[in-house]
Amino acid sequence: MNKDDILTQLEDIVGKDFATNRSEDLYIYSQDPGASLPRKVDFVVMPSSTEEVQKIVRIANQERIPIVSMGGGLTLSGLIIPVKGGIILDMKRMNRIIEINQFSQYALIEAGVTTGQILSHLNENYPHLQPPIPDAPPSATVAGNTLIHGSGYLSQRYGGHGSMINGLEVVLANGEVCKLGSCALSDYWFDRGPIPDFIGLFTSAFGTMGVITKLSVQLFPKPKMRDIIFGLLNDPKDIPDLLLKITATGYAEDILLGMQDKPEWMKGYVFVMTYITGDSEEDIDRQSKVLKRIYRKTNARFMNAPEKMKNLYLDKPIFAAGAADFRKGGGFEYVGAFMPLEKIPDAYEKGAEVARKYGISPTLGSRLIGGVHTIVMFFSYSFNRANALDMENARSALHETNQLALDLGGIPWKAELEGQKLILNQIDPSYTKLMKTIRTALDPNGIMNPGNWEVD
Amino acid sequence: MEIKTEQDWKDIVHRCFRCGYCKFTHEFSDYNCPSYKKHLFETYSTGGRLWLIYGIISGEIPWSQGVANVIYACSTCGNCTENCRFEKFNDFLVDIIEAARAEAVANGFCPEKQKALIERIENQTMFNPYGELNSDNDDLKKEYNLPDEAEWVYFIGCTSNYRQKNLRDATLRFLKKTNIDFTLIDEHCCCSPVMRTGQINSVKDFINYNINQINKTGAKKIITSCAGCYRTLKKDWLKYGFDYGFQVFHTVELVKKLLDDGKIKFNSEYNKTVTYHDPCHLGRHMNLYEIPREVYKSIPGIDFKEMKRNRENAWCCGAGGGVKIGYPEWSLEISKERLDEAKLTGASVISSVCPFCRTNLTDANNKYNMGFEVIDLVEILDELELEISD
Ligand SMILES: Cc1cc2nc3c(=O)[nH]c(=O)nc-3n(C[C@H](O)[C@H](O)[C@H](O)COP(=O)(O)OP(=O)(O)OC[C@H]3O[C@@H](n4cnc5c(N)ncnc54)[C@H](O)[C@@H]3O)c2cc1C
Ligand code: SF4
Ligand code: SF4
Repeated sequence: MNKDDILTQLEDIVGKDFATNRSEDLYIYSQDPGASLPRKVDFVVMPSSTEEVQKIVRIANQERIPIVSMGGGLTLSGLIIPVKGGIILDMKRMNRIIEINQFSQYALIEAGVTTGQILSHLNENYPHLQPPIPDAPPSATVAGNTLIHGSGYLSQRYGGHGSMINGLEVVLANGEVCKLGSCALSDYWFDRGPIPDFIGLFTSAFGTMGVITKLSVQLFPKPKMRDIIFGLLNDPKDIPDLLLKITATGYAEDILLGMQDKPEWMKGYVFVMTYITGDSEEDIDRQSKVLKRIYRKTNARFMNAPEKMKNLYLDKPIFAAGAADFRKGGGFEYVGAFMPLEKIPDAYEKGAEVARKYGISPTLGSRLIGGVHTIVMFFSYSFNRANALDMENARSALHETNQLALDLGGIPWKAELEGQKLILNQIDPSYTKLMKTIRTALDPNGIMNPGNWEVD
Repeated sequence: MEIKTEQDWKDIVHRCFRCGYCKFTHEFSDYNCPSYKKHLFETYSTGGRLWLIYGIISGEIPWSQGVANVIYACSTCGNCTENCRFEKFNDFLVDIIEAARAEAVANGFCPEKQKALIERIENQTMFNPYGELNSDNDDLKKEYNLPDEAEWVYFIGCTSNYRQKNLRDATLRFLKKTNIDFTLIDEHCCCSPVMRTGQINSVKDFINYNINQINKTGAKKIITSCAGCYRTLKKDWLKYGFDYGFQVFHTVELVKKLLDDGKIKFNSEYNKTVTYHDPCHLGRHMNLYEIPREVYKSIPGIDFKEMKRNRENAWCCGAGGGVKIGYPEWSLEISKERLDEAKLTGASVISSVCPFCRTNLTDANNKYNMGFEVIDLVEILDELELEISD
């Protein structure tokens, strides 16, 4: 079929207004706000139902056209820019919040529901519940975020967002729909098991296993009060000890660390933010005293932060996109890497070295996921999009940082193509073999986001 | 704030990160960029538009009708300026879009329908975007017995003068009743429609002409009942380098002042449930949110209701930025959404302080049979008995 015929077929499925191959649209969808170079897109389509997704996938499968599922397109690592051309499936019309279950505490939603949408829906209708969402801008989708093992302000206490998926509805490469989790046999989307757990196949798979159309994600009770205990550490070497002691109290909701050369007053310190929650001022005071004592005993200084600064950080989710404006150049990407706690001091020290090597002001941070079980490190690079050299520099720094994370025993998160290659080079060959077997079985024509996690 | 030189905006447009805060209301409850909500492709978000503009500036993509269409499919409502979090950048978003439209015009890509605006305004018998014969306002001056020189000039604006005469006449009656020393001029278009659509070649001549007319009356204060004229006179005329020596007020500001000074009192009631639509040009563009509300609430008998999206969060009426002339169907769809929202308040009256909003809301009200009374605040005041004291 030629391109015009394909477009006509796509238009027949979703309606004329929701399928395009106009050059201005393709230009926008061929890039993301990160440092990846633009890549070719052939069509952008916005389905509004699982049935429409099925029909699109069937055409793609028949015509061997790659399909790339897209939520908010905000991973920054170019994951929604097709590697081999094809159709971008922009999921935003699938934005129904189907059910909020207040008993089993989950939200059953379509894949295009944004994190902003779920947040405001709960705030308005279920103010006692809060969603697990990242500090990413509000157009990030719950699906996109949970599917990439995202994390956020509830992750220290409740775990990574990937583990909060209770169930998925998936359209496979052959167009069939499959339900995974308790929803496969029950009316309640309340748990993943206890049956063989295939949900994991679809997380951090970057759309290579199928198109997720619905998901159930866990919700959590909203605390009455929240406060932050700010601290400053002189030496990153003290981080593991400090984090072990804080997490042992069981008080922390979220723990964020940061180290950056700018503004000047932050230079040379590791900035610590421990979020605590409670039912009363006394409750908060009690926890706060314990934590301040821990800070003192682990070479950290309690910092009496100005009210304005505190309020800024108490706003959940945090406005993290501010980091993208450091250089006033509209470009930002970070290596996120899942790291073992003991390697965090090295990650700070060596991460700063990489940044300085590329003339970039070091901006590093980390967040705990599920206590000290995983620390996600952020090595951030903001750049000027209008300066090709600056972008190239950022790409080199990102690449070197991916390698650094691997060398330290960590794993780059939501890795861009180059990062994926580094991971695949290092991964046990039996892992790639299994991955290939599964993928070939599910997607023999290789239409699901080919080029990502590419194994020969 | 405004962008000063052509180079300025070209220097900052790439600062957009395409993070998308600008698509939403404050609390993310809904998309609040009418363009994005309609088209949904990322291209039609503010970020998409800015990236296209940057693509043009950097030479990555050429001008085309398609690109121009995206840049014109924006009602310049300013929701993005309100919600983009990048300080000293967010203020300029609408300015950048308008500047890019001027580039589109310069490169021969102004969409056909919008061209009618400049053709009519530059027509020596019209000087207005509606294609009507120019009214020198002499008849009105005679009818209302207005002097040649006065303290105030009532700048009627083309929409009130040619399409919303009831609003114009209600304003004239209000000014007379309240003993304001005012007059009218033979005004030409304030140039809002052509500025918003990037057709700016003769803008300076028009401003110059209008300022001369105003100066001839000796007036030091201008009053207008049009949110678009208000923004244009108070902001854009300065931006175009005209340092005029008079003050500009919206009628609603005068009403508020007269109420505060005890110069007017309402002696009758308005027993209706009313909701107020914030005109983008008065609200987000000029930061005037509370004064109209205070005036409505001071009217005896009124049952005043807020729509869910109000003030900085207000949904646009869909008329501005050349959208009404360029995309008439879509323009009414945008208004319909506002009327749907108004319905939820239980109001029977939707009121505003802008003739252009009034026009579009009325058109949608009629088209979709919504059953509202669409009326300007001044028209409500016109129905009331006023007690005037000196
Ligand atoms: C300023 C900023 C701050 C951020 N902070 C955080 C943070 O605190 N925590 C965090 O976890 N992340 C963060 N991120 C990273 C990222 O934006 C988020 O994780 C985001 O939620 C990704 O969601 P998305 O909808 O944008 O996903 P997308 O980029 O659209 O998609 C992500 C991946 O999932 C796939 N995918 C999406 N939808 C489907 C589907 N329906 N079916 C199959 N595959 C699909 C895509 O193909 C892609 O591979 C941040 C990003 C930015 C820009
Ligand atoms: S205009 Fe502002 S809020 Fe919108 S995408 Fe650009 S930077 Fe983000
Ligand atoms: S001015 Fe309004 S319509 Fe235009 S891009 Fe901004 S929010 Fe959208």
